[in-house]
Parts: sequence; C-alpha cells; structure tokens
Amino acid sequence: MNNPIKKILLYVDGSESSITAAQMAIAMTKAHGRQLKVIYVVNENLLTELLKAKIFVEVEKMDYERDLEEDGKRYLNYIVKLAAGKSVNIETVLRKGIVHEEVAREVDEYGADLLIQGELGEVLSLRDSHYEEGERILRKVKCSVMVARDAKKIEKIFEQL
Amino acid sequence: MMLSDHIRPDCIKIKLEGRNKAEVIEELVEVLSDARCGCDADTILEAVMKREHDGSTGLEMGVAIPHAKCDAIDRLSIVVGVSKEGVDFASQDGKPSNLFFMMLAPRNESGPHVQAIAKIVKLIKVDGFRKKLLKASTPAEVIEVIRKVEEGED
Repeated sequence: MNNPIKKILLYVDGSESSITAAQMAIAMTKAHGRQLKVIYVVNENLLTELLKAKIFVEVEKMDYERDLEEDGKRYLNYIVKLAAGKSVNIETVLRKGIVHEEVAREVDEYGADLLIQGELGEVLSLRDSHYEEGERILRKVKCSVMVARDAKKIEKIFEQL
Repeated sequence: MMLSDHIRPDCIKIKLEGRNKAEVIEELVEVLSDARCGCDADTILEAVMKREHDGSTGLEMGVAIPHAKCDAIDRLSIVVGVSKEGVDFASQDGKPSNLFFMMLAPRNESGPHVQAIAKIVKLIKVDGFRKKLLKASTPAEVIEVIRKVEEGED
C-alpha cells in the first residue's frame, strides 16, 4: 500500500504549542521519510483591524509588521535547527495576510496531505471560536489536520529520536 | 494567550488619582516602576507619551490602551488602572476614560504584545466586563474578573 501521507505542512505561530507541533511533525517525518515544510504567517489582518479600530496609527502598524516578520524568520530558523538536530530536512515559507487563508493556500500549493498545528487558542464564546485562527484553519484547509497535544509525551518521543 | 497570567497584583491600581491624561500615564508608569524595581521609568514614560502624541489611545466605552515598545523593560508588562471619576483621555467617543490598560513590550516581543492588545480589545466587548472591573475593590478581584471572562465562566 502506498504511503497516504507524503507531504506534511507544519503551521507555527511562535507559541509553546507550536514547538510541540514541530516536534511531532519532525518525529513523523523522520520515522516515515516524508517531506516537511513549515509555514509562519504574519497576521497582517489583525494589524489592519487594530489600525481600523484606531488603536494603532499607520506608522506603528508598519513598524509592528516589520517586527512580526522578523519574529517569523526567527521562529522558522529555530524550527529548521530543531529539525537539523534530528537530521531532518525542512523547507520554510513565510507569508503575510489572513492567517487561515494563507495556510489554506500553502496547503494547496505545496500539495500537503497533512497539516500539523499546535493546540487551538482559548475562546471566550462559541461566536468567538469562529474567529480563532486555529479553528479557522481546521475549517478552511482541504487536507487532514492533526492537532498536536500532550506536550510531555511528544517531547519524550522527540528526545528519543 | 491568557492575559490574566501576565497581570500582577502589584501592577494594578484601583483608585487612580490623576486628573488628566499626562497625570494618569505618569501614575501608571510609576506603578510599573514600583513593581519592577530598577526599570527606567523616564524612558518608559517618554515612549508612552511619544505614542500618545502620534494619536490618542483613548477608545470608546471608557477604555484606554496606552502602549509602546520600549527596551527599558525585558518582558511584556501590563498595568491596569481604574478611575471611578473618569479622565479626559481624548477618547474616540469624547467620553471620559476610566479603565486603563497600559501595555509595554520590549522591541523583540512584538508578537505577544500585539496579541495582548487584541485580547484586551476582545475582552472589553464582553457584556458586563467593564462594569465588573469598575466594581472590583482589590487587585485580586480585577485579576479574577479578567480570568473568568477569559475562561468563559462569565
């Protein structure tokens, strides 16, 4: 039987749970010889919303956008090093825009069979859940999605690789 | 991000005494400076005032979110202030502001800073949240109100 999962896309947002997701993705890639790519999206939409709400001024929004891009590069480099430590090659991509839309676009363009992401963010209400990026990614992408849970267990698996 | 995890009791002042924007900001910076011994209050004040000069952070519904990036602090810092009387903060709706969330972050922590500001914006829209904060009589109560709303208990 052919391996049904050839390409894995890992979504990271800089959170602790992203690291857990990365460890899981690296472990799966190493164990089964799959292709792995990691994506970080600068949440341009959120910055625009804060600008529209007049919490940010234009110059400030641009400044934060640059900062977030640098953050993204730093996170991606960290994941590359994490993977290299386990002799796993990983491609990276940094996008800007509406997070779930950019992740969905990358899933299509990369031809991912599986998307791995960290724990979903906390929500204040059912209505709120519709705006949580992790939830929106779950609903939007066309491929299967794995939510990495149990950080301790995954860390142990990762260490044993 | 759980905002309540980032707010310390000693970074909350229930009865602000400042009567105008400059005084309130100075007071909030002082609260932070007292809580974080050794941080450079003058540099923080300058960063927050500079940001206010670019445009007021007084929003609607009595809430203001003065904020800045500043290397005088080493981590995301939030100071909550409550003024029962309200202060003219050049707010968007022209009404006095009585809930203040001063948010500061070092330059290399913009991600959590933006998330925290967005979280506050989300919280202040929750029914009853502002009213409960105004009624809180201790810093511990303020944190409890925020925590409950964040966890969806309220």
